Amino acid sequence: MKEKLKNFIFAELIYHEDPAAFGDDDNLLDAGLDSMGIMRLIMFAEKEFDVTLPDTEIEPDNVGSLNSLENWIRRSGHA
Amino acid sequence: MTDSTDKLFNPGDYFTYVLDQEIRNAGMPGGYCGFALQLAEAPDLSGLQRRLDLLVERFPQASAVIQPRGKRFAWVATGNPIPLELHQCQSSADEADETQRLLLEIFNRPESRPLTVHWIAGADGGTLLLIWLHPLLDARGCKILLDFLSAERPESFKESPSLIEAKLAQWSFWKKLQLFFKAKRHNTAANSLDSCLPTQVEQGPQVLRLKVQRFDADQSQRIAKLAQQYTGLTGRTLYYLGCFMRAMELVGPPAAKDGYCIPYAFNLRRQNAPTPVFGNHIGCLFARATRQQVRDRNGLFTHLLSEHKQVVRDELDLAYLPLMWLGQWLAPDKYAKVLRKQHSGGELSSLWFSDIGELSWNKKGFLGVPVTNLSLMCWMTLPPGLALLASQLDGKLVLSYSYLSPAIDEAWLDAVIAKMNSELLETPEN
Repeated sequence: MKEKLKNFIFAELIYHEDPAAFGDDDNLLDAGLDSMGIMRLIMFAEKEFDVTLPDTEIEPDNVGSLNSLENWIRRSGHA
Repeated sequence: MTDSTDKLFNPGDYFTYVLDQEIRNAGMPGGYCGFALQLAEAPDLSGLQRRLDLLVERFPQASAVIQPRGKRFAWVATGNPIPLELHQCQSSADEADETQRLLLEIFNRPESRPLTVHWIAGADGGTLLLIWLHPLLDARGCKILLDFLSAERPESFKESPSLIEAKLAQWSFWKKLQLFFKAKRHNTAANSLDSCLPTQVEQGPQVLRLKVQRFDADQSQRIAKLAQQYTGLTGRTLYYLGCFMRAMELVGPPAAKDGYCIPYAFNLRRQNAPTPVFGNHIGCLFARATRQQVRDRNGLFTHLLSEHKQVVRDELDLAYLPLMWLGQWLAPDKYAKVLRKQHSGGELSSLWFSDIGELSWNKKGFLGVPVTNLSLMCWMTLPPGLALLASQLDGKLVLSYSYLSPAIDEAWLDAVIAKMNSELLETPEN
């Protein structure tokens, strides 16, 4: 799951010279993930992993890194 | 027949060209935008000129001209240099006022070149003004251009194909068709609410003027916090738009109709990517609300956010790309009508708006010189005759209002800006 998220983020939303070097706990918001990017990322995750991510939980703790994103998606129902 | 050095417009370029033509036809210079960076001291001006020469050598489009190619348009390289134009503030005048006067004098002059660069020298530092024609590139592209001019390794900047065309190429014919109809339906809905406008004037000679609101670090943080509180992580732009709608409604719109419609662009470029340098890689979204919705602050933000989420869920952020692709084959005046006019014949946009986001040179400055301030400007159609460009310099919010005079009443705009500031900061007078 993390790999799919990472591929989408670095192909569509954020430029990084070396995505492989971007750590699972590195901060996506500091790396340039903006409000439109978060929205597109959530839509991608909902479709790709067949979950509904509650609007009320869209906060830095849940979208700030690849690890926190993965945890949030799993908590929201993805097996 | 297209020469191999010609660069055909992409659908985003043509979209902005149509508006450029409309602005020119109304007797104004055209779809030009300007970034003005106030620098703490003069940079190496000869070095900057050398970098401009390198820009033309590496990217001939920077000094190209627009020529028709059948029903479409292309950039045709001229090889002309881009001279750094030098201006001097008069020592007797207040420097800030004098700089603004010179900025506007330059920005108001007739122009045909796609890119001009100016240094306005003050007593200590000065202001670097970069003016570009919108079909050449979008605002994020302009930041890339500035980074190129200042970069230690300019060879890392490369051109790449149009992101809109790359996206369109990923979709099957049926997917394009499906998105096209989605966008058309959305457009029809957008056209159903007659938009309040900041002026009743639709023609006559105009000059462009500018008012800039700068917020300090504490105020900017407070605004960011309130934006997150009201519109969440996904809607900072919506907070600015909602506050503006409320400011206009509370002061009273000069052309009062049913509601507000503010188009805003989203950029297909990846954040921080140094490529593509030129071209417009944008899609279009709309923030819409009735006057009644605008009067209820909490309700307005809830409405704007839920509409925004629905739009992205329904892929309407991408749906406009096939529409723009088809628009390439319409004549500019016909396309402009589709873009701007509502079913009633009125103007769709209550305001031209762009959120350029964080612009920062805090690590090494521009050519090694600290950037101390920033203002942005752009020409727009009349109506609406008013544009708001939002940006942040090192975390400090800057709101630049470009407006046409005499179409926009200055006292009215001052009142709207004061109201906007209190809406953004949620100060007690609300």
